Amino acid sequence: MNNLIPLMRREWLQHRFAWAMMMLVPLGLAVMLLSFGQVDMGDAMEGRPPEDVTAVMGSLTIVITAAILFLLVWGVSMFVTSGLARRDHSDRSVEFWLSLPTGHAESYAAPLLVHLLLAPAAALVLGVAGGYAMSLLVVSRFVSFGDWFSLPWAQIIPATVAIAARVLAGLPLAVLWLSPLIMLAVLANALFKRWGVPVLVVGLGLGGVVLKYVFGQPLLGQALARLGSEALTALLGAGQTALTADRPSAEQALRAVPGWAAHDLGAAFAAAASPALLGAVAVAAALFAALVYWRRQGAGVTG
Amino acid sequence: MSAMSDYLVEAKSLRISYGAKRAVDDVSFNIPKGRVVGLLGHNGAGKSTLMRAMVGLARGSGGLTVLGLDPCKDRVQLLQHACYIPDVAILPRWARVDELISMMSGLNPNFSAERARQLLKRTSVGLRDKVKTLSKGMMVQAHLALTAAIDARLMILDEPTLGLDVLSRKAFYEMLIDEWCDGDRSVLISTHQVEEIESLLSDVLMLNEGKLVLSISLEDMDRRFVALSHDSSVAESMAAAHPLLRYRTGPGPAGNAAIFDGAPPEHVMALGQRVRPNLVDLFVALTRKPELDRTQF
Repeated sequence: MNNLIPLMRREWLQHRFAWAMMMLVPLGLAVMLLSFGQVDMGDAMEGRPPEDVTAVMGSLTIVITAAILFLLVWGVSMFVTSGLARRDHSDRSVEFWLSLPTGHAESYAAPLLVHLLLAPAAALVLGVAGGYAMSLLVVSRFVSFGDWFSLPWAQIIPATVAIAARVLAGLPLAVLWLSPLIMLAVLANALFKRWGVPVLVVGLGLGGVVLKYVFGQPLLGQALARLGSEALTALLGAGQTALTADRPSAEQALRAVPGWAAHDLGAAFAAAASPALLGAVAVAAALFAALVYWRRQGAGVTG
Repeated sequence: MSAMSDYLVEAKSLRISYGAKRAVDDVSFNIPKGRVVGLLGHNGAGKSTLMRAMVGLARGSGGLTVLGLDPCKDRVQLLQHACYIPDVAILPRWARVDELISMMSGLNPNFSAERARQLLKRTSVGLRDKVKTLSKGMMVQAHLALTAAIDARLMILDEPTLGLDVLSRKAFYEMLIDEWCDGDRSVLISTHQVEEIESLLSDVLMLNEGKLVLSISLEDMDRRFVALSHDSSVAESMAAAHPLLRYRTGPGPAGNAAIFDGAPPEHVMALGQRVRPNLVDLFVALTRKPELDRTQF
């Protein structure tokens, strides 16, 4: 696996422009919209002191900005990953890559690592940083420039860092929960080219319906739903506890965030200690091995 | 690397199939060091498959060792010491040339970035050029410069000049000979432009429908095969001696020739004048159906 770093660097060289655009375009759009739009905090903030409203406005801006950028990059990365097996066929450089002294497994492991973990993690960190800048814009636009400096930063910074750390720590777990579906999509693309993902979606959908309504076995649908819900809660919300319950002020709620995040992460790890995750990872590993076998046989170059 | 014999490549009864189709059929040959070997064959003869097998990208049965290694099992180790330009010599379009140098530096411990930059100076390709802006000729030159910067013992080139104009082809072969062939390293090269590389070759392998029909050095080829230029008036006597091939060398009654495997009988030799058989004619002689007679075309 000595080649992992150079192969990961390849991803950076190939995708850095797209990643930069994914970060900058939403931020640019948000800046444009905020320049002309309004912010409606809804009924929940009615009767709250103005400093509370400003604190919630600032905190939510950071969280929402980070969430949008993270989900955007992660979603796009999933899409890119699904086409991983055949991506070098489009510019016909596949034989060039095959002529390099890199192992088949590491040639897939490096991009999977980058697209499923590193790029979304970087997007989240940059999203939090961008969120601070956006909060300045939002607070300046709808309250005043000076009020941004008066935000309860001693609470906001630990709270946003804790939530970001919670999502970052949960990201590998979420990927593990989704890994059978991800690897299935990559393998389907390898075998059926551009029809791979549609074939997979139709196959799983039809398979689930047939199993449920013809054979009375809802197993497939349940398994897919479980993978999805476990992946979501691995990222956030595994603890099933409401953050804002019984918090009279925004500052108090923010102060509670790090503890809540730690508890939530613990719950996510507890949920991961299950045979279901082991089964999911075993299926993903088998699919990865099949993908490596496919590449070893010539990566579809000869047919 | 494991203990090596005198040969860089050793194939023994190698067979490779794609489903029911036998692409390489019971092929045996050796490539010693310091040789420039031409691999000739019609489209679909099995050249690319054989070359892909040598770098671990196609599997077969029988024996195949390259630099003393099993190409499939030891592919990564092998590709550090043997370099390969496939017949679709396409570099990734999104990359810049200097990025490819940097990537190859990271991926191959025997790659010299400095040497690649030096070799690229021989071409019109700039370090900051994006691959997608290069012409096909420039791309092939860049690919050769990158490949030749690997301190390897064997270079495998699968129709590297396919689709290039004559100037680009000449530049490619000049660079190959000047910068890579040092008498110790070997090159295996397949091409359809046989005439252009004949002077570069030391050996030739000919494949026909997956079978190896000839594996010989050019010196031995000159000794073994006899071409007789003759007048059309003796054509029937020539045909009666069962040459490998009868063909036209030019207009007029004197423009006929026949190739024999081994010296023909004295009385046949006396009918014509011995000339050096060229590789193209020999290739045609050995890979066309024997019942065909090119003098009839």
